[in-house]
Amino acid sequence: MKSHSAYFRVFTGALVFLLAAGAVRAQTNVLADVKDLHATDFTSEQYFEAPNEQLVKMRLSGSSAEPLPGGLLAVKRLKIETFGTNRVMLAVVRAPQCTFAPLDGVASSAGHLELQSGDGKFHVEGEGFLWRQNESSLTISNRVRTVIEMPK
Amino acid sequence: MKKIVLLLSLALCGVAQAQTGVVKPAPRAPTEINSDAAEFDLNARQAVYHGHVVVNDPQMKLQCERLVVFLPKADERLNHIEAQTNVVIDFSDNHGTSARATGSLAVYRYLVQSGATNETVTLTGNPQVESPQGILTGDQIIWDRANNRLHATEQHMIFRQNLNQSIGTNTAPIKLF
Repeated sequence: MKSHSAYFRVFTGALVFLLAAGAVRAQTNVLADVKDLHATDFTSEQYFEAPNEQLVKMRLSGSSAEPLPGGLLAVKRLKIETFGTNRVMLAVVRAPQCTFAPLDGVASSAGHLELQSGDGKFHVEGEGFLWRQNESSLTISNRVRTVIEMPK
Repeated sequence: MKKIVLLLSLALCGVAQAQTGVVKPAPRAPTEINSDAAEFDLNARQAVYHGHVVVNDPQMKLQCERLVVFLPKADERLNHIEAQTNVVIDFSDNHGTSARATGSLAVYRYLVQSGATNETVTLTGNPQVESPQGILTGDQIIWDRANNRLHATEQHMIFRQNLNQSIGTNTAPIKLF
């Protein structure tokens, strides 16, 4: 049970990215810029506020983003990277595909989702997810598997 | 409410070994959490795993229906976790002796007060710890992780070698392992 506290410490650190993501929820949706376009291999970056406005806070990329009825976007090979002010990557999220509602700030998919902390010690994956940017909540609805590398 | 202190073996989970620093910890297998679903509520600072939650750790296996992790603020360590509903914790000591703790709620708390570390796991809801030597029950069973002791309130102990022999609350400390 010694490992209990240890792994939870790792777990906590790995979730920092989620807290960071929550902090940016009120800011502009980065995909809103491409809602009316067919974009391929796109990348959109979000920056910290002053005095760190030169530093990338979140980088969102995908192989394609195509408009869907209802103002939705179909995003393929979604990749979201979050960074700290020390330029270190906090986490990366990958999904083969998802639907994104730029106005609502909601991303969802019945497919796979992977999340990995920047240090590689925390990994979570599952099937089917819903990200509500305004509520800062992420739901993974099926077969959630979390692997935490323990300190040696 | 009377309490007794049951002197669990320090080998309960190898804690003593890890704290002495004499033996360098060997690389260990990762910890894995599996569940039907999970929710991360950043406003409430909670991570909730639910549905057939299984935590596989090299030193223990925990099963429950719902696992709530209260996310600490930046630079704070994790201090509150709750395993809820049908909680089962299987663990072994360094000698391979296994034990099983059960209850409806297990609460982990970590608190540093006046320089003293309080790190406990409190098991309630018909809590029970079963080892090859006997079965311990009580209103609540508190594992003092900082001191590697097990406290039970309104405790009752039954030895396996004589299941008819039960011990009340005023008995001497009992070594389970």
